[in-house]
Amino acid sequence: MRPGLRDALVIARREFAERARSKWFLAMTLLGPLGIIAMLVVPALLIGNPAGTRVEIVDRTGVLAEPLAAALTAVRWKPAIIAPDTPDAEEMARIRDRKINGFLTVPADALDSGTIVYRGDNGSSQIVEVTLREVVRAVVQARRGARAGIADGQIAEIIRPVRVDPQQTNGKTEATTGVASSLIGYAIAYLLLLVIMVYAVAVLRSVVQEKTSRVMELMIATVKPRSLMAGKILGVGGAGLVQFAVWLVMAALTLAYRDQILGALGVPAGKVALPSLTFDVIAIALGFFLLGYFFYASMYAAVGAMVSTEQDAQQVQTPVTLLLLIGFASVTSVSGDPRGVTAAIVSDLPFWSPLLMPMRYVLGGATPVDVVISLAILAVSTVVIARAAAKIYRVGVLMYGKRPTVQELLRWLRY
Amino acid sequence: MSHALTVRGLVKRFGNHLAVDDISFEVPRGVVYGILGPNGAGKSTTLRMINDIFAPDAGEIMVLDGLRPGHAAAQHIGYLPEERGLYPRMKVADMIAFIGELRGLSRGEARRRTAQWLDRLGLAQWATNKVQDLSKGMQQKVQFATALIHEPELVILDEPWSGLDPINAEVLRQVVDEIRSAGRTVLFSTHQMEQAEKLVDHICIIARGRKLLDGRLADLQRREAADGIISLGFASPGFAPDPGGDRSRAAADAVLADRALVAERRPPRARPQADGADCEVKLADGATAQQLLAALVAAGVELQRFEVVVPTLHQIFVDRVGASAAVAERRPGAPDSPDTGAVA
Repeated sequence: MRPGLRDALVIARREFAERARSKWFLAMTLLGPLGIIAMLVVPALLIGNPAGTRVEIVDRTGVLAEPLAAALTAVRWKPAIIAPDTPDAEEMARIRDRKINGFLTVPADALDSGTIVYRGDNGSSQIVEVTLREVVRAVVQARRGARAGIADGQIAEIIRPVRVDPQQTNGKTEATTGVASSLIGYAIAYLLLLVIMVYAVAVLRSVVQEKTSRVMELMIATVKPRSLMAGKILGVGGAGLVQFAVWLVMAALTLAYRDQILGALGVPAGKVALPSLTFDVIAIALGFFLLGYFFYASMYAAVGAMVSTEQDAQQVQTPVTLLLLIGFASVTSVSGDPRGVTAAIVSDLPFWSPLLMPMRYVLGGATPVDVVISLAILAVSTVVIARAAAKIYRVGVLMYGKRPTVQELLRWLRY
Repeated sequence: MSHALTVRGLVKRFGNHLAVDDISFEVPRGVVYGILGPNGAGKSTTLRMINDIFAPDAGEIMVLDGLRPGHAAAQHIGYLPEERGLYPRMKVADMIAFIGELRGLSRGEARRRTAQWLDRLGLAQWATNKVQDLSKGMQQKVQFATALIHEPELVILDEPWSGLDPINAEVLRQVVDEIRSAGRTVLFSTHQMEQAEKLVDHICIIARGRKLLDGRLADLQRREAADGIISLGFASPGFAPDPGGDRSRAAADAVLADRALVAERRPPRARPQADGADCEVKLADGATAQQLLAALVAAGVELQRFEVVVPTLHQIFVDRVGASAAVAERRPGAPDSPDTGAVA
């Protein structure tokens, strides 16, 4: 084994052990999946079940109150019909006193052009909105049909709900519910941003700490700066890889058994339709994590070498962090049109491909060939960046005090 | 005989500042070699170049049998940097073994020797504590261990006494003695002459980046002694009834006034062993101590003391480096020793 490589591996083992032994690492690795499960379950729970909503109906048409109450009862609300001349203020007081959740005001012209208003403490709930919209529409339309002299059976036929389901596919992949696909895509892009940032910044902190604890001189006397930097990036990245892989596998298992998990938590099965995390997606996410991490960790290592205090590091790292965040901000352009030109460009640029390409692949916007090309571009760029970073690192690690100017940095690159 | 270290024509420039200016010296094997100089003389810069931390602008360095500074040489060098520092969150034993492994030991061997060193330095019970939980003095010992774990042929100690309490200074002295008796070599830098004198065989004095002199301390002392400083003590007239006392004194004055024998007469320098000295004289060129003694005896001077002065390292240093550097060296809290005031 080449001596520099052996040194790098010994250093990597130290860095890995320092992280893997900390209680935080264990907690995050185990709690991360809980977070993923929570991401799946909490929204479902939060959407909540509007069943049992106590609603009072103020009907000024004189014909809608009874069918509305019946239809709401059918969806397990608790409607009550009250006098049509009840003033709004009285109902508002009942909401204030928590006697009711809300009240439905049906104006006299509701069958023609009037707007039926619901006011209540759950009025912002999407489920409440959807339920009310459907129930009220059906009742009003049925009443209109009756007024026009259409037989009841025909009315039911006319207002029977129409189902529309937008699905995401590129013609090859199995189509999956659009919302769910973009959710998975987002989740992967977000996770990648999270782990790349957390672990690349950990490299920066580690470099700065070697300076502040003054162990740097001993290390540089013992090994080549290049070995030190490589070992550090490998070791920290190893910890990140373990964590990320655990998370992905847990996520895949969670998705595979989502119905059982949701069922155990009391959420009816089949309500949340999510695609599965397949092996190729996991492999691609891990690949982009590794290269993206190496890419950014090299940059952060160079930043760490340029500064001598944590405060300085905060400032100097900002451009690098911004670069990463710009990439995350472009997720909408990928999820909106995964096969479009913009998506193709941003998911090939090495700064952003680690976040965007796995998402684009999940959404069916990229073929395996696209993925390989993007990975290759990222790999080559990583080598270039790592070499430049190693040069800055070599000169920078022993500098204390003043931050280098841009001219000095360029000179370091030429050494 | 091959040397532990050969340095030839070493030059290092930082911007406009010439930190090391054409320094050459050789460190024989199995000796304790001190690089002495005031603050800012270029000592640490020289040691850093030997450790491949800086590349020299000119000159060459050869470690042991023709190794250049770098990875292979590092396997045979132990280094106590001027900037003391360890990984604060690492366990003590892990820290020492880690450096041992990077210096070429196998993992098992590094662990085994770490245990020995921890025993040796009285740190065994702290092996699984984190470095940051140790006192400054104990951290110093751990730092020593990282320099010695791989039993290097050449041990380089940069300002070893900086921030060291007397107990650890004694540990250091014992360790250095052991290395020397094992035939291995110690190279250290310091500006603390009293400490250095207890340890060194060879010295190299540098100031403002340039070498002033080097060689075996005993040789240098003999050579300086040969320059002819004689410390004289006369039988005291008041000490015993001695009618001839005044006459003896007058005779001595006459001999010492002879420019063919004595170049200069001055009051005795304050030295621990200078009790009973009345004056010091510097022999004239060509005159020997023997001739002076004969002249004094012939003149009937009653001598209590006639000593060819062997200068202390401190005197040699002060003479060579000059009064200004000596002032800088004695200034407390000088930037070269940041640790002295910071003992927790």
